[in-house]
Amino acid sequence: MLKHSLFFRFFVIRFSLLRFGLPIFSVLIFTFASTSVQACTKEDPTCVQVRVNNVKNQPLANMVVYLEPLANQAVPQQNKTVEISQHSKSFIPYISVSQKSAKVNFVNKDDITHHIYSADSENKFSFKIRSGETDSSAHFNHAAEIAMGCNIHDWMSGYLLVVNTPYFAKTDLQGVASFTLNELGKYRVVVWHPQMRAKNNRMIIEKKLSNTEITTFTLQKAMDDIPVQKSDDFDFISDY
Amino acid sequence: MINTSIKPLHLLFLVVCLPIQVVIAAEYNVHGILDFRVKHINSSEQGYLTGGQGKLGLGDGVHFSAAQIGADLSVSWDNGLSAHGVFNAYPEATGDGESTALGLTEIYLKYRSLPNTAGYRIQTKAGLFYPEISLENNAYAWASKDTLDSSTLNTWIGEEIRVVGSEIKLTRLGRINGDKYDLSFSATAFINNDPAGALLAWHGWAVSNRQTLWNEQRTFPWFPARQGGQKLAGQADKSDPFLELDSRVGYHTRGEWKLRGKGSISAGYYDNRAIPYKVVDGQYGWRTRFYHLGTRWRLSDNLSLTAQYLSGDTLMQSQAKEDVVNNDYASGFVALHYNWHALVANKKHKSTLRVEDFSVTDNDKTAGDDNNENGQALTLNHSYRLSKQWFLSAEFTVIDSHRPARAYTGQPVDLVETQWQFATRYFL
Repeated sequence: MLKHSLFFRFFVIRFSLLRFGLPIFSVLIFTFASTSVQACTKEDPTCVQVRVNNVKNQPLANMVVYLEPLANQAVPQQNKTVEISQHSKSFIPYISVSQKSAKVNFVNKDDITHHIYSADSENKFSFKIRSGETDSSAHFNHAAEIAMGCNIHDWMSGYLLVVNTPYFAKTDLQGVASFTLNELGKYRVVVWHPQMRAKNNRMIIEKKLSNTEITTFTLQKAMDDIPVQKSDDFDFISDY
Repeated sequence: MINTSIKPLHLLFLVVCLPIQVVIAAEYNVHGILDFRVKHINSSEQGYLTGGQGKLGLGDGVHFSAAQIGADLSVSWDNGLSAHGVFNAYPEATGDGESTALGLTEIYLKYRSLPNTAGYRIQTKAGLFYPEISLENNAYAWASKDTLDSSTLNTWIGEEIRVVGSEIKLTRLGRINGDKYDLSFSATAFINNDPAGALLAWHGWAVSNRQTLWNEQRTFPWFPARQGGQKLAGQADKSDPFLELDSRVGYHTRGEWKLRGKGSISAGYYDNRAIPYKVVDGQYGWRTRFYHLGTRWRLSDNLSLTAQYLSGDTLMQSQAKEDVVNNDYASGFVALHYNWHALVANKKHKSTLRVEDFSVTDNDKTAGDDNNENGQALTLNHSYRLSKQWFLSAEFTVIDSHRPARAYTGQPVDLVETQWQFATRYFL
């Protein structure tokens, strides 16, 4: 005979995690959303706008735009903490951008463990992150384009672009990214997206920026497909 | 100034704390399945699990059962190493069910490296495990994900194919190489699967959710060649599929091409390299070899496909090296899965239609042991996700088969069997 009750009790007790570490209970998170930079207006003398169009000349959203000073303009260090969450077995957002040396928090919002890594030789890192935990052990102190994956869920794919400037944003639905600069002058304007089919996934214009002229980029080729971070809907897959 | 020299106290700290560090990084997981069913079966008097001629696990009638109580236990460390143990219990069903069985189905150590800069990853596995063949049984404790009962192909894998061995798998990740596909190749060297093929010969293809437990012996129907003085008189009453009889190492290889977000295509080859005339305590070596092909494909947002095909042969000889059983066999299925979220506006309803074709061809001349069969099966499943962990399922299966060996026990050679199942399954 089976000892049903004992077995069942053993069965339903979920030893999910043995955590002896020091959990960080209070982490102040300043979320960097895709429109972190407030749209500015033409009346603002240091407001510059960049527009990105696709190959059909239609506005393209979610393209990363950043401005690097070329005339020794002073640039402040932002104090923003970037949050990269793991939610529904995907990286959210798919693309994050941070200024170098900014704090990057990985937050696991799933009820399972993820094993986040970057295999890039210059920016190699990996850590397991349990359900509900925040990990900020990875430091990003120089400009880099970091492709991230999960070693448990291969379909997960995310990017962190680390830039050497506080002036970065993603284009909005009108394909526009706006920046309020401390100083005008000559900048390198870069548009980046991991699926942009261009050299280094970038388009670059170097020019003197002003608040009267919108800098417009038009892609030469259609964008590649953005990877679908999706697996089977079934949640109880064993890792066979 | 920072003092970097290690003092005895520091050393003690390191010696005491380093092992603790290893413990800290361990994560324990308990997963599993509880599967309660009521079945209505129209078949032979006895199902194949109790040595009957039916192709279903149980025979004619209405049955209540806990069809599977499975526990999938693991501990994993941050360095990529993990240990896994899978236990299954099959309590006795009402009616003509086999008696309660409980035991181990898999136990292994696994190591998965991080992908290197070039996007290559190595995974190794050692212990008792399933070679990677089934595309259906990927839920916890090897339960079938989309249907209650596995296809004939994977019911056989669960019954006779299990290895003690080590597997190495190399994966090239497309994400890191700018490709839309992943490639993987695995090779397994194994022992302890020498009698595999006996049950397939003697009860043919079957449909159930039963897995053979480690060290478990399985019964099969009576046939005249087992009588005293006949060619198979020396065969034990039950078959023990997970034995090593000849100290020869078998192998399994598999390759897979996986297109991101779409699906995968895989192919593999299994050969247990058993010496077919070796017999120990009534358990013969069966030289069993087969190849298998499989695909999983997302046809649209709502519709996906799983298909597998397996074909091979098996040979068992007398000690005089004459063929006693020499069979070819094949089984294949195509399953379509439909998610009703377009119509029902939620992801809770899913239907599966599976069609199968199977055969065994007997090439030997042994009297009183006809292993020929051919048949088709159709399964319809509808599952509803009641809550995150509870699922309700209704499943209908019909199997139409031609099996001359059924005449040995006075059963009809041509038989159409049907089964209705209603189940509630809980995944932990």
